[in-house]
Amino acid sequence: MTMSPINAELLRNAMSSIADEMYIALMKSAYSTNIKERKDHSTAIFDSHGRVVVQGESMPLHLASMLGLIEIVLEKYGKNGIKEGDMFLSNDPYAGRGSHLPDVAIAAPIFNNGELVLFVSNIAHHADIGGMSPGSMAGGMTEIYQEGLRIPPIRLFENGVIKQDLMDMILLNVRVPEERLGDYNAQIAANQLGKRRCLSLINKWGNDRIRDGCDAIISAVAKRTRYAIKDLPDGIYNFNDIVDDDGVSRSNIKISVKISVKNDEVNFNFEGTDTQVEGNINVTMAGLQASCLYCLKVLLDPDCPQNHGMLDPITINAPKGSIVNANFPSASAGRAQTGQRIIDCILGALAPACPEKIIAAGNGANTSAAFFGKGKNGKYYVYLETLGGGAGGRSYKDGTDGVQVHMTNTSNLPIEALETEYPLMIERYEFNKNSGGAGKFRGGLGIRRDYRTIGHETTFSGQGERCVNQPWGIFGGKPGQTGSFSIISEKGKVIRLSNKPSALRVGTDNIISVKTAGAGGYGNPKKRSEKNIIEDKKSGKFSQSFIEKQYYK
Amino acid sequence: MYVGVDVGGTFTDLAINLNNGRNLILFKLPSTPKAPELAIINGLKTVLKSQNLSSKEIKRFSHGTTVGTNALIERKCGKVALITSRGFKDLLEIGRQTRPTVYNMHLDHPKPLVDRHLRLEVSQRRLADGSLHVPLEEIELKEISKKLKKEKVNCIVICFLHSYAYPEDEDVCAKILKSLLPKEIKVLTSSSVYPEFREYERFSTAVLNAALITVLGSYLDRLTNLTEDIGIKNEVKISQSSGGLMSVRMAKKFPVRASLSGPAAGVQGALRRSLAAGFKDIITLDVGGTSADVALLKNGKPVEVNERDLAGFPIRIPSLDVNSVGAGGGSIAWIDRDGLLKVGPKSAGAVPGPACYDLGGKDPTVTDANVMLGRLNQESLLDGEMKINKQLSLDCIVKLAKELKVDPEEAALGIVKVSCATMVKAIRSISIERGHDPSEFLLFVYGGAGALHANDVARELGMKKIIIPPNPGILCAEGVMNASLSTEFVSTILTNLDDSGIVFLRKTGNNLLQRVNKWFKDEEVPIKQRQVWWSIGARYFGQNYELSLSIDLSKNNKNIINEIKQEFHKEHELNYGFASETESIQIVNLAVKALGNLETPSLPKVSKDKVKEPIGFRETIFELDKRYKTPIFNRRKLVANQQIIGPALIEQMDTTTIIFPNDSCVVDEWGNLIISVND
Repeated sequence: MTMSPINAELLRNAMSSIADEMYIALMKSAYSTNIKERKDHSTAIFDSHGRVVVQGESMPLHLASMLGLIEIVLEKYGKNGIKEGDMFLSNDPYAGRGSHLPDVAIAAPIFNNGELVLFVSNIAHHADIGGMSPGSMAGGMTEIYQEGLRIPPIRLFENGVIKQDLMDMILLNVRVPEERLGDYNAQIAANQLGKRRCLSLINKWGNDRIRDGCDAIISAVAKRTRYAIKDLPDGIYNFNDIVDDDGVSRSNIKISVKISVKNDEVNFNFEGTDTQVEGNINVTMAGLQASCLYCLKVLLDPDCPQNHGMLDPITINAPKGSIVNANFPSASAGRAQTGQRIIDCILGALAPACPEKIIAAGNGANTSAAFFGKGKNGKYYVYLETLGGGAGGRSYKDGTDGVQVHMTNTSNLPIEALETEYPLMIERYEFNKNSGGAGKFRGGLGIRRDYRTIGHETTFSGQGERCVNQPWGIFGGKPGQTGSFSIISEKGKVIRLSNKPSALRVGTDNIISVKTAGAGGYGNPKKRSEKNIIEDKKSGKFSQSFIEKQYYK
Repeated sequence: MYVGVDVGGTFTDLAINLNNGRNLILFKLPSTPKAPELAIINGLKTVLKSQNLSSKEIKRFSHGTTVGTNALIERKCGKVALITSRGFKDLLEIGRQTRPTVYNMHLDHPKPLVDRHLRLEVSQRRLADGSLHVPLEEIELKEISKKLKKEKVNCIVICFLHSYAYPEDEDVCAKILKSLLPKEIKVLTSSSVYPEFREYERFSTAVLNAALITVLGSYLDRLTNLTEDIGIKNEVKISQSSGGLMSVRMAKKFPVRASLSGPAAGVQGALRRSLAAGFKDIITLDVGGTSADVALLKNGKPVEVNERDLAGFPIRIPSLDVNSVGAGGGSIAWIDRDGLLKVGPKSAGAVPGPACYDLGGKDPTVTDANVMLGRLNQESLLDGEMKINKQLSLDCIVKLAKELKVDPEEAALGIVKVSCATMVKAIRSISIERGHDPSEFLLFVYGGAGALHANDVARELGMKKIIIPPNPGILCAEGVMNASLSTEFVSTILTNLDDSGIVFLRKTGNNLLQRVNKWFKDEEVPIKQRQVWWSIGARYFGQNYELSLSIDLSKNNKNIINEIKQEFHKEHELNYGFASETESIQIVNLAVKALGNLETPSLPKVSKDKVKEPIGFRETIFELDKRYKTPIFNRRKLVANQQIIGPALIEQMDTTTIIFPNDSCVVDEWGNLIISVND
């Protein structure tokens, strides 16, 4: 039976309110900074075939991992092998559908009258998943075994009871296990909450109508995505962009895309993209798929609900063993860096197809700074944060200064919380003058954030991008400035670090200075309005000499 | 005589209580947005004259204003400068470095209220433990004061890191600047507005407060001049976002607290009415033309939160936890790109309004659906003042139904259902999602369009009883009239829950109590009317969000550690579905709310006259293929204890109440309709 568009909307509304509730409960009760402050987690409800029906608010990079999560559980256990009271756990990009190891997924089937009706699941970024380096995100590692504990899809709960032996083994392999246990508990509780809510929904609607409703909700999104693609003129669109380096052995890694739009379907072809790298910035299929879906959604239909229907009109071809479709056992913890570049590449390609919606390249990185040391109380700490930068100039207004772009939208930790919890001090947190590319509408400014170590030595690891290859401007706009990592000694000597420093010892009272890239401008700088130029100067965001050079010469 | 005034964008509502409650006069007149005080005074004069009353008899004049909020939305507020530690002038603009939504590249947070060239840095920096990393260079303030004098700023905010615990540098800086600058330039510190940790939210709150000081200050001066002119002797009281009142003195110092007071006043009104009727656990639903506001009151106490947004900026002020969604009578029904039916958040507003108003509106709205279903009067509304063209409602819904490929009736019912689903979602998030079961609460409904949707909402949430006050459209003004004086003080503590932590907690408590007592004295609250509520914000060590616990610190409870522990675990279980007995608990802050209970007039009662018969009948659709010839009653004519069995419609000036078949309704002695849902 097909469901009316009214009932489908009512069911969608009810289901998405469950996914949202799970999302908030997980955020508020978790321990990892990545979850509680930076909202690096996602929730979803699936139908019995393992298709995503609704998602809570979510990280773009989790999108495709969600799409494949239950599919792989079904593949492994079969529909008949899944029992009431089960819960499944997985994080591996190869054996599972993860995109990097710190993202741990937990899923639970929901039965009614002995029949499998729905699944709920959530994915959350843990502050540590073991491996060579604290925080499990540092560069320098060359295969996935070094990056942390690999978990294929396995049963964590049977008959409603947790397999404690398994949990003990996982916790033994991760740093600060008490806090991680808190994260696992929060994830499990979020699923149990989702299960309770779904059951009362199923009771109200009945198994059959829920099944019909899921079909209707998924095909509505498929229809909507096709409708959106029709907005793009048919044609073939090409673009290339460059990743700075992999932090180990290779620099200037090329990403190449050819996008074919025909009627209401689109194909992304990454032929010509460079091979996978030794460093940890490899993207697996889940990450690539997520990047493509993100682009379509922001360009064509930002309000589109996310579910399996999005995949319907889309095909992706990427060479096996390339950096965008990497083979086992390549390292992938820093896959967001490459993900950002894939997005730049797709947006660059589609610029002529939708010039008013496109924006110039932004800071194009998931700039991270991670500190590991022993605090005053003698306890080890791991602290990781990510920084925003400039966002690209737009067709009718400037790019935003100092903000997260595309793949990531994680908030900063308040300085007062950071300085209370960790033996670190923030010396400055400000815009990077002149870093936004000139244009009719200029690019946003990058950020500078300086960390001082207080009374102890620490180990620093970081990842930056757009430190060599500038974020491009568009339709005549100029590129934005690059970013960098530096260390400033007690005596004030500044030494530039690599773009992906790994496990660097930092002495007491030294400063790690992180600058993120600005963004490219949109349109010819000569067309910038006098009012905007005056504002650039008055605000002090740009120097007199920059303004003269870019706008008056 | 007590007067309560609520000023909205379209109407200014006055509630006037005479003869200690025997008489309640309600009066509505068009607002005068450019000078809101004019409508207030004119309205008051009109009522006084018509009733032959003297302004001298006014014991209290309380007022809820949106002057501040409107100024912010239009960005017509004072010119503000900010002074902060070197290296941090961009903190206010960076905010939390996020974009408002992940998938929209074109949406930005609003620009900061302080221009970058007015954000100035000085040498000063303290660390989390209070130690000085860089001492305050007082000499730099001379240059700064010269610059700010030239810039003609209205207000200066001083924002240093860790000032929630160590406010001394901010205070010194303020003192010096005051000595260097003319008196009309106000100087305030972030720690004096909201002394809590998390710098961006504290700075933002202080900046908003500064931006409103001149706007609200001059408005209150104009208003009090006029009230004095017409002979009101007693001081005006201003409504706050916490639902309580404050003196004009406090409002001028903390104008930000007057924002978001409208919805809070409605909740206050609901609280008073429901307590009188004997109900303590209620969920309020206020449905207007464009939005629906919901709140939860447990045991006669509304839930308070600190985290709110004002015109896109975060503010931290004590406020009632009112959740607002875009669903109201004017909400427009439309078909999304995926073919599904959506209702709102776009609203037809008052102009052009729903299609049936015949003012040019072409889109089907919730009101049009209700007209078509016969739930609303199909000839006129507002006691006959507003003519209704039923055919226009029919036309646009038939068109929508064709596109949806469903029956027009099904489409109309769908519009009502989808819009109710939005209200249900809002209620879920303040009840179910916080561990409260709505079926244990009563649904208290007000706002012009509330009573039309109460039944659908209650059924969906399993709620058994609905209460509708006698004048649902004017409950905010009534709430303002009946509110108490209140204020809140808070201190960040950040300590472990152990013996030394408790010593610190008690010490902080004593300091707060001194400030509370000073406030009681300043506001001249008689000892008998003083009331103090304590709450502790706590979390598991390592978490980021604290839960608020009611703990009475005035009792000398010896086992307070255990009391806090138990209460915390209970709350954590309730909110997140688990508690961990082995985890250690951290106390984040201590807050105290002080109430000065004012003398309040009692509520008027309705007569126990002879039961009144229906004034007519209308065919009404309750469910698909279920239409009834439904009796219509006039709300004003209903008498105490009158029973009405559904199906029935009860009409009054600005509200229509529907009673579903088999539900029953009784009128209580205060004129409330109490509906029992028979599911």
